[in-house]
Amino acid sequence: MASYLARRTGYMLIILLISSVVIFYALRSAPGGPSGGGVLSPLSSQEVRQAYEKRLGLDQPVYTQYFIYMGHLLKGDLGTSLVNGTPIVELLTTHARNSLVLGLTALLISYLIAIPLGVLAAVKRNTWVDQLAMGGAILGMGIPNFWLALILVYFFSLRLGWLPSAGCCDPPQLLMPALVLAAEGTAVTMRMTRSSMLEHLRDDFVRALRAKGLPEWQVIIRHVLRNALIPVISLTGLRLGWLVGYALIVETIFRWPGVGYLLVDSVLRRDYPVAQFFSLLLIFFVLMANWFADIGYGLANPRIRVA
Amino acid sequence: MTDLTVLDEKATWEASVERLWAVRPSRWRDAWYELSRNKLALGGSVIVVFFTLVAIFGPALAPYDYAKQVLSDDLLPPLSGGHLLGTDELGRDLLSRLLLGIRISMAVGLGTTFIALVIGTVAGMLAGYYRGWVDRVLNGFVELVWGFPLILIAVLLIGVIGPGLVGVVVAVGFVNWAGFARIVRGEVFALREKEFVVAARALGKSDLNIMVRHLLPNVVGSALVMGSYYIAIAIIAEAGLSFIGMGAQPPLPSLGQMINEGSGYMLLNHWLSTIPGMVIVLLVLGLNVLGDGLRDVLDPRLKGTG
Amino acid sequence: MSRSEVALEVKGLRTTLFLREGSVDVVRGVSFQVKDGETLALVGESGCGKSLTALSVIRLLPDPPARVTAGQVLLAGADIRAMPEQEMRSLRGDTISMVFQEPLTSLDPVFTIGDQIVEAITAHRKLSRRDARDMAVDILKEVQIPSPEQRLADYPHQLSGGMRQRVMIAMALVLDPKVLIADEPTTALDVTIQAQILDLIRSEQERRRLAVLLITHNLAVVSQVADRVAVMYAGEIVEEAAASEIFANPTHPYTQGLLSSIPSAAGDRKHLYTIPGRVPDPRALPPACLFAPRCPYALGRCWKQHPELEAANGHSLRCWNPQPFTALRSIEPGEVDRSIATSE
Repeated sequence: MASYLARRTGYMLIILLISSVVIFYALRSAPGGPSGGGVLSPLSSQEVRQAYEKRLGLDQPVYTQYFIYMGHLLKGDLGTSLVNGTPIVELLTTHARNSLVLGLTALLISYLIAIPLGVLAAVKRNTWVDQLAMGGAILGMGIPNFWLALILVYFFSLRLGWLPSAGCCDPPQLLMPALVLAAEGTAVTMRMTRSSMLEHLRDDFVRALRAKGLPEWQVIIRHVLRNALIPVISLTGLRLGWLVGYALIVETIFRWPGVGYLLVDSVLRRDYPVAQFFSLLLIFFVLMANWFADIGYGLANPRIRVA
Repeated sequence: MTDLTVLDEKATWEASVERLWAVRPSRWRDAWYELSRNKLALGGSVIVVFFTLVAIFGPALAPYDYAKQVLSDDLLPPLSGGHLLGTDELGRDLLSRLLLGIRISMAVGLGTTFIALVIGTVAGMLAGYYRGWVDRVLNGFVELVWGFPLILIAVLLIGVIGPGLVGVVVAVGFVNWAGFARIVRGEVFALREKEFVVAARALGKSDLNIMVRHLLPNVVGSALVMGSYYIAIAIIAEAGLSFIGMGAQPPLPSLGQMINEGSGYMLLNHWLSTIPGMVIVLLVLGLNVLGDGLRDVLDPRLKGTG
Repeated sequence: MSRSEVALEVKGLRTTLFLREGSVDVVRGVSFQVKDGETLALVGESGCGKSLTALSVIRLLPDPPARVTAGQVLLAGADIRAMPEQEMRSLRGDTISMVFQEPLTSLDPVFTIGDQIVEAITAHRKLSRRDARDMAVDILKEVQIPSPEQRLADYPHQLSGGMRQRVMIAMALVLDPKVLIADEPTTALDVTIQAQILDLIRSEQERRRLAVLLITHNLAVVSQVADRVAVMYAGEIVEEAAASEIFANPTHPYTQGLLSSIPSAAGDRKHLYTIPGRVPDPRALPPACLFAPRCPYALGRCWKQHPELEAANGHSLRCWNPQPFTALRSIEPGEVDRSIATSE
């Protein structure tokens, strides 16, 4: 397991390095550049433009810029926004916290729904409970999250006036974006929990456990679910990745001031330092999530942990 | 003398067995269940075929030009005279826009998935068949792309090349091929050791021949199952990106774009958003159900991976 | 014999599979007794209903589709068919235990051996984990697992097949049951390990005066451990007698066929017998002897009337035309007609 971990970690660092180079070059090769995209007036004279670029170091070769940037990054200097001069450190603390709150709430809601329902559907297989849960799941997979967001806003904000349609950061404002973000992976997780439970309910050890006289709930929860969760854990890494992606859309819809909203905004405004830093941050987060899911998978599975 | 009676009795015995066998119902223990599943798949394919036909012929049958603005006829509700689904805030016919929107969604879904399917199948087959360094390189790449948030890549790519459908198609194709490659690689890994492949190699058939004639037919089922899910993923991704203004650009009507434009009028004119939204839900539902049905019929091993 | 000696008694057991196309009786009218300190072997080919009989006895049939539809199962005199599930559960693992064929898959892969034994104890006894652990160590010692304290922390995949089966036996015996059901306990093991496991079952049985119901298709296993043998064919017992009697004087043609198909060191390997044909489909059973199509001695009556199990001198038999035992040999294709002609 140790060598596996070392390999995973090295692999992660390499991807991070490649991503940083690709993102750095890509953003600079965009047509228009920072001076074209809303930062400077299109009417600015050539001299103003050049002075501006020189001040930001944009006149140097891209690889030089890259090394300067990485040097600053490693020293903890994250730079400032081109649009309004806010230090990125400041953006990081507020927006990252907001995103974490949203993401963790969504994940919690999702698993609290998906796992019990998946277990119930498997245990009550082919009954109306199962059919209802699975019908709901397949419907859930078909509803795009942004449309779900619109419908929720329509009912709960516009019609009933119970919840604010956007904003941050009170619990009522959190509820709808968290629900929408949770909806994304819930159906898949539920289906996976169910099929994994069904697979393990057929295992020989289930009969052997019953032959020991264990209560049925103990057989189902302690043993079958424990085994069935192993693939669900490894799905979590993937789900965190999707969550990051969908957070871009959900945060934008609900004007939730998180990293996703910031990233979409900065990309559209060509705010390089912001877009660059936060996309790297999200990639880092996705990689870390997969890394943790891999470790979790190994820890949950003694056949890998104790080889 | 007894031999004949014995034979005769034996024939009677066998006849009775035959008779009992003949009346026994289907051997499929889960026949009903399978059938109901297949009914779902049937429903799914009806939906998908319907939308495919709409995508092909719909725009030609549209009653109006999708971009024609008649500002005096703005925000007409559905079933208004001359406008079956009403008009939008600029007085454009919603039905005509919807028909083109469906074509764009289907084209993006099918196009990206087809590209991903071809690239992924080729890459997966090469990696699974040759193993060694080919596998290490290709699979390293697959693992890199797989599990990466599609929307994040799309947003970054669009940041570089500007908003539009091109960025969406490239980003979706770039991420989804890895899904096909993973599945195909795993299957080829297993198939490679099967007798018929070993035999084909022993007969001196070329690698290309073995891959095309023997391996491809065996992986096509799983690839198709994955395909119907991936078309759905691509359609949702396109709609989502268009919704936040990064996909199709006005006046081109993609379904997500239409929902976005209508979202400002939710309180009084909700159909502007709800109708294209329901179309997406129905289309994606049809694709997912079809995928489930295909999976059960073509490849029971994949059960539960969706 | 006094009634209290009978640990397990099965009377007229019928087990039915309820399938979509209708119901099928897979165990029909099976009756037997197992006394304290006695091993009864239930022998037959796969699909003859012996495993379903065992699962009926411990009430662990996969339901759906299988259910006991008639008969009684008396465990120390009490009918378990009438018990509520809660009460039955308190008997399983405590009064009646079971050991399965596949020791690897019968252990939960994600829990240690120790956890799984302790769990079997605490399901029935109010004991602290520490006391339960001590019991676990003692029982592992008893089934001759070396350094039991260390083994408690092992996962199933870390043990060898033989060790795993010892763990299964330890788990079954830890609460000192009266009845042990062993379903093909050695089938999945290497031949050298098989004998060790059978020795272990035998010695534990003598120590504890266990009643053992041994399910097997392997007559070599039977000869090592069984006191009595019941041969099952197509869901019915066709012959039952003391083990020595079965081996010395097998009377049912099916039993004779089974015995003739065992390779013996000195035997005629060239003409090793295989019983022709296949087990009849339980969905289409004719009113006849079910073995008739595979029987070398079938008479006219055998094709017309179903024989009953009849006992004489402790030897029960279900056959119209019993023949003295001469080792059967496989019929060459050309011999078929002659063999029918000479069968009477």
